[in-house]
Amino acid sequence: MLLLFETPGGFAIFKVLDEGKLSNVEDLGNVFSSAESARKMVKLKAFDKFDNTSEALEAVAKLVEGTPSKGLRKFLKANCKDETLAVADSKLGNIIKEKLTIDCIHNNAVMELLRGVRSQLSELISGLGEQDLAPMSLGLSHSLARYKLKFSSDKVDTMIIQAIGLLDDLDKELNTYAMRVREWYGWHFPELAKIISDNILYAKSVKLMGNRINAAKLDFSEILADEVEAELKEASVISMGTEVSDLDLIHIRELCDQVLSLAEYRAQLYDYLKSRMNTIAPNLTALVGELVGARLISHSGSLLNLSKQPGSTVQILGAEKALFRALKTKHNTPKYGLIFHASVVGQAGGKNKPRIARSLAAKAALSIRCDALGDAGDNSMGVENRLKLEARLRSLEGKDLGRLAGSAKGKPKIEVYNKDKKMGSGGLITPAKVRLLSLQPLVLSAIVTYLYCCFVQTYNTAADSLLVQTPASAEDGVKEKKEKKKKKKKKAEAEEEEEAKSEESSKKKKKKAKTEVEFEVEEPAKKEKKKKRKHEEEETEEPAKKKEKKEKKKKKSEA
Amino acid sequence: MRSPLRGRGRGEGSAMRGGGRGPRGRGPRGRVPGGRGPRSGPGGMKGGNKVIVTPHRHEGVFIGKGKDEVILTKNLVPGESVYNEKRISVQNEDGTKVEYRVWNPFRSKLAAAIFGGLDDIWIKPGAKVLYLGAASGTSVSHVSDIVGPEGCVYAVEFSPRSGRDLVNMAKKRRNVVPIIEDARHPAKYRMLVSMVDVIFADVAQPDQARIVGLNASFFLKAGGHYMISIKAKCIDATMPAETVFSNEVKKLQADELKPAEQITLEPYERDHACVVGGYRMPKKQKTATAS
Repeated sequence: MLLLFETPGGFAIFKVLDEGKLSNVEDLGNVFSSAESARKMVKLKAFDKFDNTSEALEAVAKLVEGTPSKGLRKFLKANCKDETLAVADSKLGNIIKEKLTIDCIHNNAVMELLRGVRSQLSELISGLGEQDLAPMSLGLSHSLARYKLKFSSDKVDTMIIQAIGLLDDLDKELNTYAMRVREWYGWHFPELAKIISDNILYAKSVKLMGNRINAAKLDFSEILADEVEAELKEASVISMGTEVSDLDLIHIRELCDQVLSLAEYRAQLYDYLKSRMNTIAPNLTALVGELVGARLISHSGSLLNLSKQPGSTVQILGAEKALFRALKTKHNTPKYGLIFHASVVGQAGGKNKPRIARSLAAKAALSIRCDALGDAGDNSMGVENRLKLEARLRSLEGKDLGRLAGSAKGKPKIEVYNKDKKMGSGGLITPAKVRLLSLQPLVLSAIVTYLYCCFVQTYNTAADSLLVQTPASAEDGVKEKKEKKKKKKKKAEAEEEEEAKSEESSKKKKKKAKTEVEFEVEEPAKKEKKKKRKHEEEETEEPAKKKEKKEKKKKKSEA
Repeated sequence: MRSPLRGRGRGEGSAMRGGGRGPRGRGPRGRVPGGRGPRSGPGGMKGGNKVIVTPHRHEGVFIGKGKDEVILTKNLVPGESVYNEKRISVQNEDGTKVEYRVWNPFRSKLAAAIFGGLDDIWIKPGAKVLYLGAASGTSVSHVSDIVGPEGCVYAVEFSPRSGRDLVNMAKKRRNVVPIIEDARHPAKYRMLVSMVDVIFADVAQPDQARIVGLNASFFLKAGGHYMISIKAKCIDATMPAETVFSNEVKKLQADELKPAEQITLEPYERDHACVVGGYRMPKKQKTATAS
């Protein structure tokens, strides 16, 4: 009888020498207590080593399912003629019987035999010692585990963490080297440092010219702009730097080469990082961008770790120092950490920035979980979330404008000047405020009269009849102003189109035809400037106000 | 992307502005995110405290006496925490530093059993251990610390999620062999495991006695030992805990797993017991005959 035994190194077939003992299962265990008696019981007949780890993995993976691999089948065919084979797995035994017509048995005695062989394995297989088996077993188990967990090598977030670390390192190095080039070459040609501010262009120029004397003859048009080149050539003639030998210049040039190659590599690395981010975390990338996403992952150590954090943590990841300080001293905690650099947060202004940061962090947390723990490999969820966020941003800004411009109920909320209050993040004046000014009644009337004059001067005489019209409508406008509702400029612009048409229809005069001409001339130009917001709202805004705006615009375009 | 991203600096810069908006009386902000805040582990272990480390009765385990007592294992991979547990660095007389990791009895049944006062855990340096129910590898890492580089821990875990964590842990510790298989079918991982000295089982399954018996018949050497953590609710939620334990013990005895001691895991776990025993112990009267 033969015994099939699987080891991490390969398959072994033992010949059972003393089959009589098999009947007494109890004492079988004792037989294997010493190496001598074990050798008397079984003898190694054949051993089929695995050639490499992939073959081992394949063979073992098939065994786990209960089927023999090709290697095993060949091995058995070669060695098991006309003998019964003892196997550890009855399912395997059945398949071997079917496919290879080798009789297989599996019973308690077989189990005891296997136990015994296992305990004396190193003795029975001379070529395979304990110290060889252990690493083989370890390697095989890791490969098998990876296979089972469907480990995919391009979904490893370690690459991201290393790449972003390298990117930061490279930036530092690049800066250091570039500064060194400037300093070194500045000994020979100090003016160049002020002329060329960009590090890469500096290095390229130095590489091209070497000694500043050559600058006059060479052509820098691929590297520098014309004015800069002219400046350079001028400065090279009257430079106050000292002379340097050719050997020194060789070294400076080598340093420049290094700088340039590093810069090129940095660009390549960035592309690599982008592609990896899109593979590993597509939803996160769609939401916050590659760089911010990579920094988030690297900050928390791994994508899985990041996915375990709640949205509030994602919001302030990177601002821990400020966070704990604020918590300890009972102050306000920071509003954003690494997330600050996301483009959506950058677009928001003033009070909306922290609001958007919070919403973004919440959606980002969802996207991260989708990437880390979900199965879908596309970025549909991230794109959807981003659209939602942008819509929210628009509505937030709209709400602000609405509040500033005034509501249906009454006057606009005039903000009292408070010198201590910081307006937004550095006082970026939004267009809304500018428009606010334009809606002030006093200013409006002033503009009306002024623009009216301009309007008259620039328009052609053929439209003389219009001149008669406009004062009338201007007066109308002044009256209607008092009843008018203050709306957003966009709405006003949209309405202007409709009002043009409505006005045309309301004023049933012959001169109206010319009015139409006037409006149509202006409208095509206007339409280009307008944003694509089409509101079908009732035209309550008086035509004159709209016309004033048009005139103001025309004035601006003339200026 | 021209703007240089000094991420943390800028983020903190803006954060400071937010914080500098004048103090407002607000209470504590609740739980601190992530693993940066202090973990609620064995109490009283704050950073910077002086702790005296002495060896425990069990080889490979140590006791740390500070304000409270904790048990420790010597870190096989100094400088790294597996599950954010506290580490204690001690300087020897000859200047070398030794690092120990704190073993939390609330998270690990084995630690709870040691605290409970087992006579012998049988897991010692150089031993080969088969660990059934390894989960994410938190207890397995401590067993790996105890057995040291000479020993070997075969960690069996069926769930892929926990298995992933287990494999990551095993990458750092070369004496842990991760096996992502069902412990009910030891035939499936027979090619990876050699004969072991101890089986530790924390599987929480109703048929765990059978599972341990099957694994023992495959891999546990004659005269080897086992430790099983029995969760009464898991076996049978209706019966009282004591009955469940005695039934389990009977089942084990039928499988040649002779129980030697049983302790309860109170106060760390409720209705849990730990049974320790031997497998195919050589009988005192008969002498093993080598034929």
